[in-house]
Amino acid sequence: MSTTTYQCYLKVMRREIFRIATKPMYLFCMVIAPLFCFLFFTTLMENGLPTNLPAGVVDLDNTATTRNIIRNLDAFQQTQIVAHYPSVTEARQAVQRGEIYSFYYIPKGTTEEALASRQPKVSFYVNYSYLIAGSLLYKDQRTMSELASAAVGRATLLAKGASEDQALAFLQPVVISTHALNNPWLNYSVYLCNTLFPGILMLLIFLTTVYTIGIELKEKTSKELMQLADNSIVTALIGKLIPQTVTFFIIATFYNVYLYGFLHYPCHSGIFPMLLAGLLLVLASQAFGVFLFGLFGSLRLALSAASLWGVISFSISGFTFPVMAMHPMLQALSVLFPLRHYFLLYVNLALNGYPAIYAWHAVTALLLFMLLPFFFLKRIRTAMLHYVYIP
Amino acid sequence: MKKESLKQTIKQGFAGLFHICKQELKAVFKDQGVLIFFLLVPLAYPLVYAFIYTNEVVREVPVAVIDNSNTALSRQFIRTIDASADVCIQSHCADMEEGKNLLKETRVYGIIYIPESFSKDIASGKQTTVSIYCDMSGMLYYKALVLASTNASLTLNKKIQIQRMGNTTERQDEVSTAPIEYEDISLFNPQDGFASFLIPAVLILIIQQTLLLGIGLSAGTARENNRFKDLVPISRQYQGTLRIVGGKSLAYFLIYTLVSAYVLCFVPQLFNLVQIAQPMTLLAFVVPYILACIFFAMTCSIFIHHRESCLMIYVFTSVPLLFISGISWPGAAVPTFWKVLSWIFPSTFGINGFVRINNMGATLPEVMLEYQALWIQAIVYFFTTCIVYRRQIILSRKHAMERLRMYRLRKLIAKTSK
Repeated sequence: MSTTTYQCYLKVMRREIFRIATKPMYLFCMVIAPLFCFLFFTTLMENGLPTNLPAGVVDLDNTATTRNIIRNLDAFQQTQIVAHYPSVTEARQAVQRGEIYSFYYIPKGTTEEALASRQPKVSFYVNYSYLIAGSLLYKDQRTMSELASAAVGRATLLAKGASEDQALAFLQPVVISTHALNNPWLNYSVYLCNTLFPGILMLLIFLTTVYTIGIELKEKTSKELMQLADNSIVTALIGKLIPQTVTFFIIATFYNVYLYGFLHYPCHSGIFPMLLAGLLLVLASQAFGVFLFGLFGSLRLALSAASLWGVISFSISGFTFPVMAMHPMLQALSVLFPLRHYFLLYVNLALNGYPAIYAWHAVTALLLFMLLPFFFLKRIRTAMLHYVYIP
Repeated sequence: MKKESLKQTIKQGFAGLFHICKQELKAVFKDQGVLIFFLLVPLAYPLVYAFIYTNEVVREVPVAVIDNSNTALSRQFIRTIDASADVCIQSHCADMEEGKNLLKETRVYGIIYIPESFSKDIASGKQTTVSIYCDMSGMLYYKALVLASTNASLTLNKKIQIQRMGNTTERQDEVSTAPIEYEDISLFNPQDGFASFLIPAVLILIIQQTLLLGIGLSAGTARENNRFKDLVPISRQYQGTLRIVGGKSLAYFLIYTLVSAYVLCFVPQLFNLVQIAQPMTLLAFVVPYILACIFFAMTCSIFIHHRESCLMIYVFTSVPLLFISGISWPGAAVPTFWKVLSWIFPSTFGINGFVRINNMGATLPEVMLEYQALWIQAIVYFFTTCIVYRRQIILSRKHAMERLRMYRLRKLIAKTSK
């Protein structure tokens, strides 16, 4: 690199650092907003797995046995019996009022019929409009129902003279032991924050990158920038973006340290591969931002596109609802979202600790995103030199 | 005499209000940027979201099996799991290492391990343990695998019990294997689906966010175009805070009645989501929601000094707002601090109320808290909007007077120097 180009870079960078420092918008998008989200999500899901979710009971039988069932249900970690209702209608209304997520219904005569071997039927109603709460309560209530049934069977067997072990082996010959690999606590915070954080960061990088280029045109300072950069668009863009790359990488490093160092979320690959993944994400997102600006050519349209693309990323990257279950067309489209690849990379590295080679496609994809701006360099250059801002 | 003037003021006021409303509507339809947020996003975004989640549940999660027992019983167990809708047995592995490799290549999302002693234990009346290992990159994989294998084990357990019991009648078999029967009923989301759970919340959030963006954008434009970079232009009709606030909000309200009808009624219908709202309840609930959103957005628009600022500031808030509302993360588990903070936003009450009205068929008494909260928000934000606009009007007048004084001063100087 000749000394003059080197000086050009320095000049553009110095100018950009000054701009970043003097505009509060940059401070907000690059530091305040991401840090706020990091704190928000981790404190919101502090418990990891929600406990003591409110549930109700409609106990029309009201015997020692049914009260025992209810007490046991209450003792489950996720369930908290908050109210007894005299009828199903009233319990249903409580669900509609949002007071409880589910209720357990024991009809009249249940104990009597169970003792007389007439097979009574209990039921539980779970409101799946709240999917997470519903699923957790479903698990507890189903286990409780199985246990209630087994308790009757166990009493019969013990009465017939079987030992405790024999009774257990008879009632439950096959036991399932579940191993949730690398997240044995079923911690929702681990499951969500690891992708939400980079997602938020990516969205803000898209916006900031588009903004930083577009604002030059809007404020009619683009010619001044091009002059500093000796009319080279590559110098202008790289010089402009490097200070931001550094800032965003610091933020990425911050959340990695925060998640894996401070909160001790699983990180089986060690932190350095994750920092590299963070760098890849920052660079790919910046490149994608430049690409969007080049594609649309106007600040407003490019910003709109960036925000729409960024927000859809959260859904289509498949960390909540798996990509596998989406329409085949969407499965193909998901490749076009940097967050999707970062998610795969995170699962492979930090969560499971597999060798990086198993995620080669995600790394390649993120690298490919970095090539996108090259298609539009010429167009951006023309815009920078000759374009007149249209609001 | 005085009565006459009051009448005139009211008349003038309404004329001004409608004039401002018309101007605002014109401005909206002329401005491509605002149109994107007022029409394109509310039209297209719900469709995209519903399309992403339209399959509702994950089916046929690929799983590997390591069957060390390899007996009729273990094969039967595997077949039962494979027969479930949730899981699909993708491959049979010779040992754990092979299974692990498949996990690493993400060809499977779980491993079912059946020990060598499986049949022998059962035959000798001992308990046997089947282990399942699940990749935790998605909770839904875990749910599918656990559900399928638990169900299969319960079926097998029942069969084994019946064999051992030596009962004489079928009824006896039924009673002895399940002394107390149970039934689970999924309320208000019969297929336990993802779309029916998330989409209603997203729909309501879209209304608030697009209003924030659209109104912010037009406020930014107004500031950039007006002579003194003020929010309110100087002109004969733009006098009186009530007129301006009323006229502008009327314009937005008119647009959003149509948008809301599409978003809240048509989209759920299109994707066959749960929709058991009573029309009048829904109508009564949505009106204060839209009003609260409009005035909230107008109050917030005071911070927007440039067109592009609103995008930079508002867009990322969508994700935290969705989580704080108590749908995706259970409301009962939201810490108090965030819960109180969430009361600032109309979306919190809007989402909670709408989900209950739309998904659970609640009537107004059941969502009274949310309904009242939305009205309170609408009124409070109406007043804050008025205060904020009042300040802007005074400011813009001051700027104009200053400019006038400067102009006169300059003229005077020019005259005297002549």
